[in-house]
Amino acid sequence: MVATRRKPPARQSNARFLTALGLLAAVGVIAIVYVMNQPKAPPIATTVADPASLGPAKGYLLGKPDAPVQIIEFADFECPACGNFAVVTEPDVRKRIIETGEASYHYYDFPLPMHKNTWFASEAAACANDQGRFWEMHDRLFQGQDQWNTQATGNPSSIFAGYAKDLGLDVDKWRACYSSQAHFRDISANKAEGERRKVSQTPTFVIGDKEIPGVIPYDQFKALVDSAAVPAKRVATK
Amino acid sequence: MTKRMVIAVLALGGVFVSVYLTLYKLGVIGQLSCSIGSCETVQMSKWATFLGLPVAAWGCVYYLGVLVTAIVGTVPSFTESRRLSLALLIEAAVGFAFTAYLTSLEAFVIHAYCIYCLSSAAIVTLILIASVADYRELRPLDTTASLGRVVQP
Repeated sequence: MVATRRKPPARQSNARFLTALGLLAAVGVIAIVYVMNQPKAPPIATTVADPASLGPAKGYLLGKPDAPVQIIEFADFECPACGNFAVVTEPDVRKRIIETGEASYHYYDFPLPMHKNTWFASEAAACANDQGRFWEMHDRLFQGQDQWNTQATGNPSSIFAGYAKDLGLDVDKWRACYSSQAHFRDISANKAEGERRKVSQTPTFVIGDKEIPGVIPYDQFKALVDSAAVPAKRVATK
Repeated sequence: MTKRMVIAVLALGGVFVSVYLTLYKLGVIGQLSCSIGSCETVQMSKWATFLGLPVAAWGCVYYLGVLVTAIVGTVPSFTESRRLSLALLIEAAVGFAFTAYLTSLEAFVIHAYCIYCLSSAAIVTLILIASVADYRELRPLDTTASLGRVVQP
């Protein structure tokens, strides 16, 4: 014998409920439209360079170019995970792997579309590179990420100029380079290299022949360098 | 307010959370409003994409499905439909399982939490609880069971 538990009487029209739900939906739509219309930072460039005309990606080198292992990082200056890696893990990587000559390190810009200030930051670093101070600007940008990211400001230029001054750069020269977006094509070429390698997130590392997406702790980083160094040594001894 | 109405309201909330994250992922919204957790770390990870689409977009489709089912369930001719109750329960269980998988990735693989993902997890959990309650309310009863059975050794 099978019976069904009865629900409390609910056979009245659901029109009131649907009206209330519709009102809630309208409030939600208004909130989403409001968020979408929030002012954003002006794009640093209105046209995207044709990848075919960009030339080879150069990146920025740290360490000996002929080191047995090549490490490549694709990163976005405004990406919090990249900032975390740069501040927490990278100092160890530099001291214990790059400075000892075990590996060389190449940084490639991979600016993500949702970070409206990242192109400015890449330009600031590229212009510092003209004066031989890329890595100092790289470190300063990541350390001060929360001062200039999209959430903090719509126009980070004055903050970057302050960094240039702090680093002892020729600020007038740096400013002329920065305002003219002199390295837009170089940054685009670095990004295109990441796209060619199918990079889908930042940071992404290439250590030897392995591509590793996401932040990795120092011990894992070192293990990957060591495993990449083994075949390199074998080749050298042949 | 019936349990299905509660489910519909929750699903509507889920739609807006997932639409917001999808717009961010597509670059329409510049920066996530994220005062708690590490939203960008999670959203920029490779696990934020599933079968070629942002996970948030799948979430949007899922919540819309639950919303439509729950709304249909409030129409007078369906209020006592057991099939609809079962459909809601299955939808809720699938959503809960997938959300549990995503939350475990945040905890053990990405080592970062996104407040919107956690909000979505809370919504899915509440939907599951309401769906179970709705299903239990409408399930058939075996009246002999209530009389008790003698279990033979």
